[in-house]
Amino acid sequence: MVSPVLIIAIGLGTAFALGLLGSSRKTLQFGATLTALAAMSAISVIWLVALVTGAAQTAEIHTAGAVPPFAINLRVGIAEAALLATVTLTGLFAALSLRAQLLKLGRGGMAVLLVLIMAISGLVMTRDLFNVFVFIELIAIATAGLVLLSEDPRAVCAGFKFLVVGQIIAILLLVGIIFTYHANGSLNIDDIAATPVGVQGAALAMFLLLIALVIELKTFPANGWALDIYTSAHPGFSAVFSAATGSAALFIVDKVVAPAGAEWLPLLTGIGVLSFVASNVVALRQDNDRRLLGYSSVGQLGLVLAVIGQRDVLGEAYLYVAGGLILSHAVAKAGLFWMSAMVRGRNLDDWAAIRARAPMVLAFATFIAMLVGLPPFPGFYAKWDLAQALVAAGRLPVLALILLGVLIEAAYLFRWFGFAIKREAPEKGLSANMVDCGITFAAVIAGWALGWIWGAIPGQHNVLATLPMLAVLAFFALEPLPAKIKNVAAIGALLGWFTLVFGDYDPMRLIFAVVMIPGGAVILLASFTETGRRIGFYPSAMAMYAGLALLLEATTFFEFFAAWEIMTIGSYFLILRGKMSEPHALSYMLFSLGGAFALLAGFALASGGIQPFALNQLGTVGAELAPWVFVLLSIGFMTKTAAMGLHIWLPGAHAEAETDVSPMVSGILLKAGLFGLFLMLMELGRQSLWGVDLTVVLAWIGAISAFLGAVLSIFQEDAKRLLAYSSISQMGYALFGIALMNHLGWLLAMMFVINHYVYKSMLFLAVGGVYKRTHTKLMYQMGGLITLMPFTFVSVLVGIIAMSGVPPLSGFGGRWIFYNAIMDAGLRLPLILIFMAGPVGFLYLFRLIHTIFLGQLKDPHRQLKEAPVWLLVPQMIFVAFLIGFAVLPGMALQKVDGYIGSIFGDQPLVWSGRAIASEFGYWNPVAIMVVIAVIFVSVFLILIAKNHDAQKVKQFNIVFSAERPYRPETTHFAWNFFAPYRKALGFLEAPVVTSFWGGVTDGLNGTAEFTRRFYNGNGQSYAAHVLLFVVAVYLIAMGGVA
Amino acid sequence: MIPKVLISVLLLLLGYAFWTLSVGYAPDTELNRTAAYYAANAESEVGAPNIVTGIIVTWRGLDTLGEVTVLFLTSAIIALVLSQSGGPSGVSGADFLPSGELLTTGARMLVPLIVLFGAYVIMNGHLTPGGGFQGGAILASGVLMALLAEPTRRFGHTAILRIESLSGSFYVLIGLAGMAIAGGFLDNGILPLGQFGTMLSAGAIPLISVLIGLKVGAEFSSILQSLHETEDA
Amino acid sequence: MSQIALTCGFILILAGLYGALTNRDILRMIVAFTVANTGVNIVLVAVGYLPGRTAPILDSAVPVAEAAQRIIDPVPQALVLTAIVIGLGITALMLAYAYRLFRLRHSLDISNFTELKW
Repeated sequence: MVSPVLIIAIGLGTAFALGLLGSSRKTLQFGATLTALAAMSAISVIWLVALVTGAAQTAEIHTAGAVPPFAINLRVGIAEAALLATVTLTGLFAALSLRAQLLKLGRGGMAVLLVLIMAISGLVMTRDLFNVFVFIELIAIATAGLVLLSEDPRAVCAGFKFLVVGQIIAILLLVGIIFTYHANGSLNIDDIAATPVGVQGAALAMFLLLIALVIELKTFPANGWALDIYTSAHPGFSAVFSAATGSAALFIVDKVVAPAGAEWLPLLTGIGVLSFVASNVVALRQDNDRRLLGYSSVGQLGLVLAVIGQRDVLGEAYLYVAGGLILSHAVAKAGLFWMSAMVRGRNLDDWAAIRARAPMVLAFATFIAMLVGLPPFPGFYAKWDLAQALVAAGRLPVLALILLGVLIEAAYLFRWFGFAIKREAPEKGLSANMVDCGITFAAVIAGWALGWIWGAIPGQHNVLATLPMLAVLAFFALEPLPAKIKNVAAIGALLGWFTLVFGDYDPMRLIFAVVMIPGGAVILLASFTETGRRIGFYPSAMAMYAGLALLLEATTFFEFFAAWEIMTIGSYFLILRGKMSEPHALSYMLFSLGGAFALLAGFALASGGIQPFALNQLGTVGAELAPWVFVLLSIGFMTKTAAMGLHIWLPGAHAEAETDVSPMVSGILLKAGLFGLFLMLMELGRQSLWGVDLTVVLAWIGAISAFLGAVLSIFQEDAKRLLAYSSISQMGYALFGIALMNHLGWLLAMMFVINHYVYKSMLFLAVGGVYKRTHTKLMYQMGGLITLMPFTFVSVLVGIIAMSGVPPLSGFGGRWIFYNAIMDAGLRLPLILIFMAGPVGFLYLFRLIHTIFLGQLKDPHRQLKEAPVWLLVPQMIFVAFLIGFAVLPGMALQKVDGYIGSIFGDQPLVWSGRAIASEFGYWNPVAIMVVIAVIFVSVFLILIAKNHDAQKVKQFNIVFSAERPYRPETTHFAWNFFAPYRKALGFLEAPVVTSFWGGVTDGLNGTAEFTRRFYNGNGQSYAAHVLLFVVAVYLIAMGGVA
Repeated sequence: MIPKVLISVLLLLLGYAFWTLSVGYAPDTELNRTAAYYAANAESEVGAPNIVTGIIVTWRGLDTLGEVTVLFLTSAIIALVLSQSGGPSGVSGADFLPSGELLTTGARMLVPLIVLFGAYVIMNGHLTPGGGFQGGAILASGVLMALLAEPTRRFGHTAILRIESLSGSFYVLIGLAGMAIAGGFLDNGILPLGQFGTMLSAGAIPLISVLIGLKVGAEFSSILQSLHETEDA
Repeated sequence: MSQIALTCGFILILAGLYGALTNRDILRMIVAFTVANTGVNIVLVAVGYLPGRTAPILDSAVPVAEAAQRIIDPVPQALVLTAIVIGLGITALMLAYAYRLFRLRHSLDISNFTELKW
C-alpha cells in the first residue's frame, strides 16, 4: 500500500510544480490540480477501507530515518484515515466548486488550495507539537489567501481580521509549545503523554497550548473573525473552512488532550457546551444564509468539543460518537455551502428558489436532518450513545444543555427549510449547473452512506436496514411515476406489511396496528383524488407509516426511539405540504423534537447506560429513578397526544394540512402517543413523586385537556380548526382513561383509539371535501350544503353522532364504559370536568353540521357538486364500520377486554351474546339501536306532517338587535355562533399557554439580538474578544486547579 | 473601539500568566533527552557538525518543508492580492527619476558579492551557522538592492518562477527518495554521509540547503517584486 | 540570565499586543505584531539556553564526545528559525492585505472596515 506521506508529497509537489506548466495554460494547471487532489483522496480512501476492513493496521510513519520523539512522525489510524478522506474529498470538490475563480486566477489560487488541503491532512496525521504549529500556520495563511477568491469585496476585511486573530493564536501557541517542551524534553505528543511531568509551569504551558487550539475552533465568543469569513468567502471555500479545517482542528484538540490529561476535560466541556448553545441562539436572528451556516458550524464544533470533554465516560463509544458528529457535520455543512453557491440571493427566503427542483429539496432536507441528528444519519446514533453515557455518568446538566442546543438549532434550520418550501420563489433565483449539482449530490450520497455505515456497525440497530425504511427508500425511487400508481403501491405496501406482522401481535398492539396500518391504507384511498406526480408526498407519508410500523415492532428502547423520530420526520414533511402550514409545521417539529428529547432522557435514565435495553424491562428500573423516568416519558408521549400545555402545535398543524393529510396526522398519528403511554404504564405502573400519585396528575391533565379542548373548539370559525381542537379534547379523554389505571379505563382508552380514528378521519375528509368545493374552511361562509353534498352530510351526521357519545353509535358505548370506569376509580373532581366536557363537545359538533349543511345556501355555492368520489369512498367505509361497530362492539373489544383483564387480573364486564353487563348496569347495543330508530322515525314523521307550517326565510332577513355590523361576516348568524357562551366561558379561552411559549420564543430571540451586538465587526474588538476569552478561561481554569 | 483601560487590564492578567511562567522557569542543567540524542547522534546519523542545521533539514525536515511552503504561499498570495487590487495602471515605476550613476554602479558591484556571500552561507550551512534560509534571505537582499537602486528595471518573472518551482519540486522529490532508498521521508541518508566536517558531507543536507536557498531566495524576490510593483511614483 | 531574557520577551509580547489592540492604524498594528513576534522569538531561544554552555556546533572547540556536556539545547534554535520565517510570511501577507484594504477605501483605519457584523 502507498504511504500516506504521499498525500503531503503529492499536494506540495504539485503546488510547486504548477509554476513549470507556464502561466498561460490554466486549464492544464487546473487539470493537474484536480488530478493531485483526486490522487490524495484515493490514497486516503484506500487507507480508510483497508483499516476498516482490517486489511491494514494503524500506520506509524517515521520521517528522516529516525524514531520519534527525535524526528517528526505521522500516524494513520481509522480516525485519521476517515478525517483524511473527508479533508481530501472536500478539497477535491472545493476545487470543482471554485473552478471559475481558480481558472481566472491561474496557478496561485490552485497552489494555495493544494497547500491548504495538504496542510490540513498533515495536521491530521502529525504527532509532533511544533509540526502542529507549522501546519496550523500554513492553514491560516492559505485561508487568508483563499478568502480572496470571493467576489465580495468585504472578504478582504474578513481576511485581515482573521490574520490579526491568527497572530494572537500563534503567539499563545508558541509560548505554550516551548514551555511544554521545556517541561517534558520532547515535542512528540505520545512521548509527552507517556512521561509524567512535575515541572512547575507545565500546566500553564499546556493551558496556553490548549486554549490556542480551542480558539482555532472558533468558540463563542471569540469567533467574530470566523463568522465574517463564512459570510463573505466563496461558499466553495467556506465548505473547506467548515468541513475540513474545522474537523482537523477538533482532532488536534483531541490529540493534545491525551498528553494534557483528563483534568482539562471539564474545561473543554464547558467551553464546548457554551459555544454550542450560544452560537445556536445567536443564529436564530440571522437572515443571511452563509452567516447562519457559519454560526451553525461554530455551534457544531462546540458540540464535538463538548463530546471530547466526555471522552472519559464515553469509553469505546468515543470514536463512534465524536466521529459520527464530525462526519455528519462535515458532509452536511459542505453540502449546504455548495448549495448556497447555486442560490443567487443571500436571504434565507431566497432559498425558495430550490423548491422547483425536487432533488435539491431532498438534498436540503438530508443536510438539515444530518445536522440536527435525526435518523437514519450518524448524528442520531451518536446522540443516542452520548445521552446513554452522560446519564450513566450522572452528567445530566450537560445532556440537558446539549439537547437544548440541538432544539434551538433545529428551530432555525427547520424554519429555514419552511422558507424554502413555502416562501415565494424569486425569479431565476437558482444558478444550477452540472458540476455544483454533482458535488452537492455526492454529499447527499455520502450522508446516506454514512447513515448506513453507522447503523451497520456491530452492536447497533441499523435503522435503514428495516423493511419499512427500505420501502421508504423505494418510494424515493418511484417519485417520477404518477401519483395514482404510487398510491396503489403505497396502499399495497401498507396492507402487505400488515399481513406480514399482524399474527405476532398481542390484542392491544393489534388494535393499534389495525388503526395505523390498514387504517392508513383506508385514508390513502382519499389520495386518489390527487392528480399529477405529487412529488414529496409519498416518501413523507411512507416515512410516517414506517415510523408507526417500527414503533409497533420495537422491542428495545433504541428501536422505539428511532421509530418515534422517523415518524416525526415523515409527519413534519407531510404537514409542511399544506398551504399555510409553514409556522405550524415548525412548531409541530419543535414540540415533537422536544418531546423526543424527553423520551431520550427518560430512556437513558431508565437503562443506566446498558445497551440494548428491552422495552419490557422498563419495569425493572430502580424505585428511586422510576418516578423520574415516568415524568420524562409522560412528557414525551403527552407532547404527541397534545395534552393541554403542550398542545399549541396541534390546531395549526392539523387544520392547515392537506385534505388527506389531516386525517392521517389526526386520526392515526396521535395514537402513537397513546401507544407509548400504554407501554409505559403497563411496565411502570403507578409511581409517586413527593407523595403525589403521578397517574392522578395524568388524569387531571387528561380531564383539563378534555374540557378546555372542547371549550376552545366551540369558538372556532374554521371547520378544520374546530376538529383539531376537538382532537385535543378527545385525546384528553383517552389520557384520562389510561391514567385511571383500571380495567375499564384502559378499555375506554382502547375504544377511543378506534373511535377517534374513525370519526375524526371521517370528519376531516368530509370537511376537506367541502373545502375542495367551496375553497373556504370558515363555516360562516357556508350553509345549506345538505342538498348539494348529501353523502358528505351523511358522514358528518354519523360522525358527530358517534363522537358526541349519544346513542346509538359507538360513541355511546365509549361513554358507557367510561362512566363505569369512573365509578370504579375514585377521582371525583376531574370527573366533573370530564362530565362537563360532554355537553360542550355537543355544542361544537352541532355547530359543525348546522352551519355547514343547514340554513341557507350561499350564492357562490349554488353550482357546487358533491365531493370527489375518492374522498367519499373512505367516508362511506367509515360510516358502515361505525354502524357495524355500534351493533357489534364485541368484535374487537372482547379480545382486548380479555387481554386487559390478564394485566389487571379482573373481569368487570360480562359479555353475554350482544349485551355487555357491568356492576352498574348493562348495555345492549342492538336494543338501543332499535329504540333509537323507533324514536327517530316517529319524530321524523311528525316533522314531515307539520312541514306546511314552516316559513321560508330570505337570505338577508336578519335582525341585528341594534348591533352595528363592523365586518361583513358579523351579519351572518353563524359567525361567533356561541357568543353568549363566550361571554360566560371566554376566560377559559385566554391564550395562557400560547403566551407562555411565545414568551419563551421572544426571550430567546431577544437574547440572540442582544448577543449578536457583541460582534461589532471591528477586527480589533475581535482580537480583544479572543484575549478576553483566554483570560476568562485562564481565571476559571486556574481557579479550578487551585 | 475598546477602551484602552480594558485592554490594559486584559494584558495585565495575561502578563500575570506569563509572569507565573517566568518565575517558575528554571534553566535545565543537563540537556534533555531529545537534545542529548541530537548531540550524541549528530555525527553518526546526519553527519552535520552544525546540529541546528541537522535538526532543521533532517530530523525536523517536515517542519522545514512546511516553512518553505509558508514562503511559497505568501509569495503566491501576495501576487494574487496585488494583481486583484486594481493598483496604478501602466508600468509602475515608469515615472521614477533615474537613479544616479553612483548608486547604479555601486549596486552592480555589490550584488555579485552579495550573491556570492549568500551562496557561501548556503553551502556551509551544515558546518557553520547559516543554511538555506539565511543564505536565501541574503540572495534576496541582493535582489532588493537591485530593485531599490534601479526601480525601473524589470526582473524576469518567469525565471524566478522557474527557480521557485524547480527547487520546490526537487525538494519534495528528494524527500520521496529518502522514503524509497533510505529510512523515511526527507532522510538525508540517500547520499553517503562522507567525511564529517567537510563541505561535501552530511548526505543530502548540502543539496537540500541549496534547494532551500534557491527557493527562499526566489520567494523573497518575488514577494519584493510584487510589493515593489505596487509603488506609486 | 534566562529569566531576564524571558521577561524581556514577555514584555515585548505584551507591548506588541497592547500596540496592536489600541492602534487603529493598520500599519501600526502590523508593526506592533512584529514586536510581539520578536518577543516570542526571544522567549523561544531563552528557553533553550543552558548557563555556561556554547553554541551547538561540533568543531574543534566542541568534540563530539563532549558535545552533550558542552552545548546548549539546539532544538529551540531550530524552532525559532521556523517561527521567524513563518512570522515573516504572515507579516508580508498582512502588508499586502493592508495595501488591498487601502485600495478599497483609501483608509487604513481598522474601524472603517466593519460592515460585516452581527
